[in-house]
Amino acid sequence: MEITPKVTVAGLTFDLTIILATLLASVVVYGLVYFATRKVSMVPRGLQAGMEMVVDLIRGITEMTYDRKRAEKFVAFSITLFLFVLVANQIGVILMIASEVHSPIPALGITADKFHDGAAHVAWLKSPTADIGFAFTMAIAIALFANYMGIKTSFSNWIKPFRNPLHIVEELAKPTTHAMRLWANIFAGEILITILLTKFNPLVTALPVGVWIGFSLFVGMIQAYIFTVLANVYIGQKISGH
Amino acid sequence: MEFSGFGTSLVQLLIFFVLLLLVYKKALPPLMATLNERTKHIENQITTAEKHRADAEKLVAEQKELLIATRNEAKEMIDRAKTQKEVEAEKIMSKAKSEAERMLADAKKEIELEKVKALASLREEVGALSVQLAEKLVGESLDQKKQANLVNAYLDQVGRLQ
Repeated sequence: MEITPKVTVAGLTFDLTIILATLLASVVVYGLVYFATRKVSMVPRGLQAGMEMVVDLIRGITEMTYDRKRAEKFVAFSITLFLFVLVANQIGVILMIASEVHSPIPALGITADKFHDGAAHVAWLKSPTADIGFAFTMAIAIALFANYMGIKTSFSNWIKPFRNPLHIVEELAKPTTHAMRLWANIFAGEILITILLTKFNPLVTALPVGVWIGFSLFVGMIQAYIFTVLANVYIGQKISGH
Repeated sequence: MEFSGFGTSLVQLLIFFVLLLLVYKKALPPLMATLNERTKHIENQITTAEKHRADAEKLVAEQKELLIATRNEAKEMIDRAKTQKEVEAEKIMSKAKSEAERMLADAKKEIELEKVKALASLREEVGALSVQLAEKLVGESLDQKKQANLVNAYLDQVGRLQ
């Protein structure tokens, strides 16, 4: 399996590949939104029209989940989340960078015990969403935020379902499935691309890889949408006290 | 599968929050403002169009009403003119008739008068001629007035017998 460069500072481990990919995704998302909203006109053109489609899509999600007044407040969050996960999903499909390392680089956590046959596959850039830690971080943060919103809206409504102990299981299952769904889809996509590219003759796998990349782009979009919808649904449930 | 570390998670969340903040505060507002403005604009357009349509309908109804009123008025005028014409014609006819009758009566009266006059003068002339004739026959002059009375009495007798 591929390994990633890591550094440890003050007892905290930082995965450089994930951080780089996250940073890249953020820059791309911000650039996209920034340039799409610079020369806005009443009659949308080009990038603006595309961004308006995204806004409409997201408004559809928020208006389905919250009442009208609150829905507008969650549009920016949902757009950011959707585009962020979307771009993050596609990085690994479009821009995966990996190399073979033959000598250990201890400063980056690439130690000799991770070598197989005198070499290690190091991923320098891949989808952050293909990392289980990333997916769980997002899902747990959203679950915590959802509960915070629930408590803030009405503590009694929030605490009520916990009289049934099974609710605790549900509350744990939500972020788990939320994260696993995203991670597994993207991770599987990347694994298959890597295997097709490295384990077989590229002449044979060129067509399947092409098809699979297309499918992965589609899956990446669908998963970003699902992740955003579920995030809103979880928050909405807590706010409305279910 | 190896966990990428809490440090990564913290950095990742930090990056996401910064991105969220930037998108929310800087990038998105102009677009959202335009979207809202457009919604308002379209709503305005719809309202205006609706109003114009209602106005147009009202105008059409008004025009229709006016047309009907005008038509009725015209019909009334024609009817009135027709009646007027008949009355007028009747009046002229009756006037002409009465005039003709009057003229006829006048003429008759005139004829009657002339006849009476003619008869009187004839009577006088016949009287005189009779006297002259009698004078010649008798050879002496009779008292003209007495003679005239005599002749008149005779003629009256003749007239009555006739």
